[in-house]
Amino acid sequence: MASPPAARSGPSPLVPLAYLTCAASAFLAAALGIGWLAPDLASHYYQPRVLALTHTVTLGWITLAIMGASYQLIPIVLERPVWSERLARWQLGVLAVAVLGMIAHFYLGTWPELAAAAGLLAVGIGLYLLNVGLSLRGFTRWTFTARMAMLGYGGLALTMLFGLALATNRVRPFLPGEFFPTLHAHVHLALLGWVTPMIFGVTARVYPMFLLAPMPGRWPCRLQLWGLAVGLPSVELGLVGVRGLLVPGALAVAVAAGSHAWWVLAAVRGRKRPGLDWGLRFALTATGFLLPAAMLGGSLAADLLSRPRVAVAYAVIVLGGWVSLTIAGMMLKIVPFLVWHRAFAPRAGRERVPTLANLSWPWVEGTAYALLTGGVALLAVAALVGEVTAIRVAAAVLALGALAFSLVLVRILGHLSPRFQKTPAALVA
Amino acid sequence: MAPRLATVPESHRVHLDVREGLRRGEEPFARIMAAVKALAPDHVLVLRAPFEPVPLYDVLGKRGFAHWTERHAPDDWSVWFYREVGRRTVLDVRALEPPEPMVRVLEAAERLGPDDELEVRHERRPVFLYPQLDERGFVHETDEPEPGVVRIRVRRR
Repeated sequence: MASPPAARSGPSPLVPLAYLTCAASAFLAAALGIGWLAPDLASHYYQPRVLALTHTVTLGWITLAIMGASYQLIPIVLERPVWSERLARWQLGVLAVAVLGMIAHFYLGTWPELAAAAGLLAVGIGLYLLNVGLSLRGFTRWTFTARMAMLGYGGLALTMLFGLALATNRVRPFLPGEFFPTLHAHVHLALLGWVTPMIFGVTARVYPMFLLAPMPGRWPCRLQLWGLAVGLPSVELGLVGVRGLLVPGALAVAVAAGSHAWWVLAAVRGRKRPGLDWGLRFALTATGFLLPAAMLGGSLAADLLSRPRVAVAYAVIVLGGWVSLTIAGMMLKIVPFLVWHRAFAPRAGRERVPTLANLSWPWVEGTAYALLTGGVALLAVAALVGEVTAIRVAAAVLALGALAFSLVLVRILGHLSPRFQKTPAALVA
Repeated sequence: MAPRLATVPESHRVHLDVREGLRRGEEPFARIMAAVKALAPDHVLVLRAPFEPVPLYDVLGKRGFAHWTERHAPDDWSVWFYREVGRRTVLDVRALEPPEPMVRVLEAAERLGPDDELEVRHERRPVFLYPQLDERGFVHETDEPEPGVVRIRVRRR
């Protein structure tokens, strides 16, 4: 069988690490900001400061984390070298400035400047898509992961254009239709068009790798793909005007989510790995949030529940529960590997080097797990009730969890320092 | 004696005599393994022992070493351990979590003799491994003999 081109110089661990570090910083900032914005969160979600918080999570945390992970996973999972790591570094600079600008101008409610920051964000995302597109030139191995990644890249481009249109619309109104359905369409395009396919696609490859499990059957993957392929356009059209498509679209998405959850469960059951580390526990617990997310999302689509507080609770469960906990879990697997590779791979085989377990900090990881999973669940309930004090308590739990999670990452990244690299034997001991 | 061993110059023979240590009740295994680890690819280890060290044959055989045994007296044995020429080792790393496959492959590659070949069976193309092999002077070829199995053949340059 012909060999696809290999990355001759090897992927640099520093590029994904830079993205993941920025993403984790945004996560910490968002977690610390929730308690401060408790009164806003208890009322209506469409407020400048809540929008600033939301974009800290969606752009700063989720999008940067996915982009960073993709710069590691394109070589590993799709087996293609990244076209330009230099471009990836420049792109991170552009994105960091753009995301900070958007968050600041959402917070201040200064719309012309927000539109300018959104334009800069579009440049950063355009550079990412260019880099990814050139990396995948001539790609022919259309696995489930590859198809999902393509769907995700298309969804990211459309979400970016949609967001740019919304930002421009604040300055020069031109979009037809009602505002809130259009806003909901933007949110769901990002969620179902960008984030969901990337998570479905990547986990299909990396969960079996980490769980030491065989790839579960093909039909759950087909249901995930077709559920999203049918559900996404139906939900979008349903939100912007063809109301009859909204519930069938939501059902198709629920089928995709259910298939994903079933697939994860099958991988867990079929695993050869006896124990689960905290990274895997994070990721697997995240999958459990899909059930309440699907129930709330379906209820909102069918107008069984329609109050703004329900929408906030739904956002907390989806973004904070499923997406964020999945990313946190994957980061606890990816970051140690990248650090290990940078610090110890050159010595592997020649001398005794630490394992990934030697780089971990289990009791702090366990504390982060308990606080973050508990905090997200508490916050969802508190947002649903609309009680400011309860939101503050949940926010405090989440903030402590995010601090513990950050401490773990800082400690792992500390192994990049020359002090640790000179004495790997001390780590092994 | 194996014909190849007769041509090994004295400078390429590492002599290790564990008879005296054993008589004092010392455990020689660590010394032997340290000597094996430090052995250059074209060197041989000549072990002198008061008995035939049969368990070592299997231990070092797994590391790519053949042996030739010489009995001088009932309590005096010489065993020559040398890397087999053109030996092919198969290493399956499919059931290992990253980065353990890389560690195992690099350990096995470092033990390769000049004409040996390491055949690795992997689940995917190990893009992080290739640069390490290149930097250490190994040549490698990758193919996929069957779906889901990636085969990497590694040799010294």
